[in-house]
Amino acid sequence: MLTKGPAKKVTIFINEDAPHRMTSLHDALMTFLLHKNVAGATATRAFSGFGSHHALHTPRMEATSEHLPIRIEFIETAKRVDELLPTLYEMVTDGLIEVQDTVVVKLARPSTPPDPKLPHQRKVGPAKMLRIFLGEADKLQDEALYDAILKKLRLMDIAGATVYRGILGYGAKGHEHKQSFLHVSRDLPIMLSVIDTPEKIRAAAEVIEGMLEDGLLVISDVEMIRLVRS
Amino acid sequence: MKTQPGKILRVHVSESDTYQGHPLFEAIVARCRELKIAGATVFRGVEGYGESAELHRAHLGRHDQPIVIVIVDTEDNLGRLVPKIEEMLDTGVLAISEVEMIRVQN
Repeated sequence: MLTKGPAKKVTIFINEDAPHRMTSLHDALMTFLLHKNVAGATATRAFSGFGSHHALHTPRMEATSEHLPIRIEFIETAKRVDELLPTLYEMVTDGLIEVQDTVVVKLARPSTPPDPKLPHQRKVGPAKMLRIFLGEADKLQDEALYDAILKKLRLMDIAGATVYRGILGYGAKGHEHKQSFLHVSRDLPIMLSVIDTPEKIRAAAEVIEGMLEDGLLVISDVEMIRLVRS
Repeated sequence: MKTQPGKILRVHVSESDTYQGHPLFEAIVARCRELKIAGATVFRGVEGYGESAELHRAHLGRHDQPIVIVIVDTEDNLGRLVPKIEEMLDTGVLAISEVEMIRVQN
């Protein structure tokens, strides 16, 4: 099963008219990958190209227009790629197979709403709570800092975070955060509260510390009771 | 990442509470500044109830929502602060828990 993190990317370069038994090779390869339950594969027809025969295949010349290059790409775990490679090696009799290291950053499927009939799963256990205090006007590269932090937390797969806007406060900067009719731009206090396992909170705190110019992070022990439908 | 032990104090009051003619939460923040407490942040809740068992919520032209004041500092500083706040409070709740502080001041 492909997950976020290190993986292998396999690229196969072949000709469109390369045969394999009774069908074309690209069809055979795609069918094979589908049957092997590969996470996903894409075959693209190139505009022009040449290979080891050093003949340029372009759509401009009728004689070569049937030999256009095909490129099949798929990404899988290193273990799966090792299992698949011997067969691919046998199948590709004229072409090139390339394997490179890659990192899967996001692997998303459109989420289906959970079935309301499913029972609540109750996850209980010790966890950590991280609170971050900053100002609403704080920026990170022209983006609201609390927005940037929230996006970063999502990228890190943190269970959840909530942004609170205070109505009054003071802190590291020494000035008062207060709403006033005279000021158009608001600089009210903002607090983010994040709850997850101790390891994930540690990692998040370290990343967020690097994003803050001044501010306060506090971590406390909490008892988490998390209800999820699964 | 340098962390140091600290305490978090949460003061739960009502928006309509007053202290010597001023809103209580403003008076508490002012007292924190006087006592050189590192910081204080005031949050307004949407709805809540407390000691008087009457629901605090926004009414037309009347603000009586729950207020939480969050204060983080060392145990010593909060030790100085808590008795002062207790004097100011008529009804309300003070809750203290332990935290690890990471102060960022680049």
